[in-house]
Order: sequence, then C-alpha cells, then structure tokens
Amino acid sequence: MCLAIPMKVMEVDGFEARCEAKGVERQVNLFMMQDETLETGDFVMVHVGYAIQKVTPQEAQSAWELFDQVLEAMDR
Amino acid sequence: MTRTASEWLDRIRHIDLPERVKIMNVCGGHERSISSAGIRGALPDQVELIPGPGCPVCICPEEDVYEAIHIALGEDVTLVTFGDMLRVPVNVPRREIRSLEQAKAAGADIRPIASPIEARAIALQNPDRDVVFFAAGFETTMAPVAAMLCEGVPDNLYVLLSGRLTWPAVAMLLESGDPGFDALIAPGHVSTVMGPEEWEFVVNDHQLPAAVSGFTSESLLAGMYSVLRQLTDGTPFLDNCYPDVVRPQGNRNARKHLDQAFEVYDATWRGIGIIPGSGYGLREAFASNDARVRYPGYSDESRKRVGEMPQGCDCASVVLGKIYPNQCRIYGIACTPRSPVGPCMVSEEGACRIWWASGVRDQDVA
Ligand code: SF4
Repeated sequence: MCLAIPMKVMEVDGFEARCEAKGVERQVNLFMMQDETLETGDFVMVHVGYAIQKVTPQEAQSAWELFDQVLEAMDR
Repeated sequence: MTRTASEWLDRIRHIDLPERVKIMNVCGGHERSISSAGIRGALPDQVELIPGPGCPVCICPEEDVYEAIHIALGEDVTLVTFGDMLRVPVNVPRREIRSLEQAKAAGADIRPIASPIEARAIALQNPDRDVVFFAAGFETTMAPVAAMLCEGVPDNLYVLLSGRLTWPAVAMLLESGDPGFDALIAPGHVSTVMGPEEWEFVVNDHQLPAAVSGFTSESLLAGMYSVLRQLTDGTPFLDNCYPDVVRPQGNRNARKHLDQAFEVYDATWRGIGIIPGSGYGLREAFASNDARVRYPGYSDESRKRVGEMPQGCDCASVVLGKIYPNQCRIYGIACTPRSPVGPCMVSEEGACRIWWASGVRDQDVA
C-alpha cells in the first residue's frame, strides 16, 4: 500500500493539481507539498491521491517502466 | 547511479561473499519488484532475500477489522476503506461474518476507496450521514490521512485509525537477539516521507549494513550491492540508493501533519503482539472526528489476544521473516488468492500473495 506512482502536473490550483500519467488524469492533493514550488510540467510521486515528493523526469520514466512490469506480474 | 541491473549483478558476483547472507526487506513494494523481476534467482546462491514486516494490511490487528465490521453492521453509517482491507478475514466461527466484504454482502454500506480524498468527498456528499473511514497503513499512507485531517474534514467524517510505523518492528527484531537477517533494505516510500535518518539505528545501534532502495531492479540491486560491500568491508553505514526521491529529512511538511494529527503509542500487530511506539492514534484535537470516540462500544478488549491469526496460518512468522511464504503448511493448498486463509494472501502487499503471483507453487518444507 506504500506504492507511489509518478504523475505529471498539468495544472495547479491551490492545494489541488490536475495530474496526468499515461493518458489518465487525476486530481492530486498537494497539501503535503507546501515546502515545494510546483509548476506545470513538474513530476510528483503520488500515493493514495496525495503528492508525497517532487521527482525528476528520469525517475518518473524509470518508475513507469517498472509498473508495467509489476502490474503484468500481479495479473497472473 | 546509472548502472544497469546487469552491471550491478556483475559487481555483486565479484564480491567475495561469506557462505550465507540474509538481506531483509520491509516493504511489500520491494518484495513485489524482487519477485516479478526474478532478482532472487539472479543473485549468487549465498545471498538470501527475506521479506519482512512490509504489509500494513497483514499486521492490522484482528480486533480493528472486527471493530470496523461491527460498526458497519451495527450503525447507520457508510464505511469506507482502502480496497485491500475488504477481504481480510477475522477469526470467527464459520457461520459468522468474517470480512468487510461479507458484511457488505449482508447489507452494510461499505465502499472501497483509493484515496482519503474520496472519503472526504463521500462525507461531503452525504452531510446527514456518518461516514467512517477505516484507515490502515504505514507512514506513507498515514501522512495523507493526517494531511486530510489537517486540511479540514466535514463533521460527519470519522476516522477509525489503524496506522503503524515500520521501523519499530525492525527494531524489535534486532533487539530480540535473533533478528534472522544480516543486512537491511529500508523502504523507499516510507523514507520519502520520514527521511532516511529513521533507519540510522540499524547501523548505529546494531552495526548492520543498511540501504534505502527504490523499486526498480537497478535501485534494488544497487542497495543489495551496497549492503553486501558494507558487510564484507566491515564498514556498515546507511546508504541511500533512491536519492532522487528520498531526501534528507524526508518530506518535512508531511511529517509536520503527521505530528499535528497523530500521537505515537504502543500498538498491537496482528499475530505478533504489542510493539512499543509503533502505532498512530488521533490526537485529542481531532477527537470530534475519531470513530472510536463516536462509536466507543465496538472495541472489544477480549479480542486482543496475541497470535490472532486464522487457524493453520503462519502469517505472523512470514511477516517477521522467520519463514518464507511457501514454508507455511497450507500455502497453495488450503490458502490461495482465490480463497485466502490469512491476510498475507489477501493483500497485494502480502508476501504470500506476491510469491503466488510470481509463480511460486511448490511447498518448501522448513
Ligand atoms: S499461505 Fe496463507 S495461511 Fe499460510 S501464512 Fe500465507 S496467508 Fe497465512
């Protein structure tokens, strides 16, 4: 349950952001990101709908590759 | 840090390893990556990887699940909880309701959610109805629950909290004198929130190698290489092999919310017993949103028996890394993901479920 998924910030509105990952959009809560400045195009790690940390695009990419792998395995 | 998985493996193969080394991980996500990438099979024979206390669903006390079931059945409420909790069985006679899923089938209003945001939204949409949010999880999940409370929740939302801290379970193992592992891979996303420093005690107090890892094969293998080198060099230190995400001090803002909303107390772990300083409870300031204050009649002291696992289930030993999942006597026989006996076969974070999903079918008699 501690799994976090990287998402790209599309639009910030107060403590909320519209984020996107692989074509899926979600509202993400930014209440825990008050020490960071977030802009459109940034990547965040999202856990249960809350951003827990800002990450680099490279990290987001490698995490996504991993999830494809793991999801495939868990479907078996 | 940009080495590939096979480069890390190559480096590991060149270490002059002792006869046997056991590395424990304490994160269901790590175990999932290790299993699905086949890392166990790729490592030298001397290296054993043992999954430890990394599944919050598995260790959520039986009496808390029982409490949630009976609040949902006994009161006119909507109960929301993270999906994995629905199928966790409690220990009751056959004909009684033994999971939230069965309580739902019996008519209780129980809804799986994926985020505290949904809990709040459901409460806002139903202002005349109590909504009980049964929230289990480790630090990573508890931080969003704390943030939700600190940001403000409607009066009709009540949290039934069953949050746990991971490091005290590892500390308990280390203090037992028979920890069963020689090195630790510390959890990546717990450390993202809490900071890697939380794991320094492994090195400072117990002189064991430790590394925080991420979830890719590269990051996990980097962590394994690090702890193996620390071990053979005799110079343990806390390494951070997930530096892009895990920063010093973690996410301070998240920790501030955790501290504002919760206090830490000695808490029960299912099948294990009480671990000092390992549980989150709501602070007095949030008593008006505490399900246990609102519905006090449902916590049943007599259920707090240590070893509360279903009969025949060795989850407690699996969680503590004392045995591998397939060393449970009923792994794959009476217990499969389709008809799980214990919580470790229910949760996607449970070691039994993960091993089954990655194709381990054989029993391994210990
Ligand atoms: S295989 Fe099933 S019964 Fe055995 S420890 Fe795992 S969850 Fe428990």
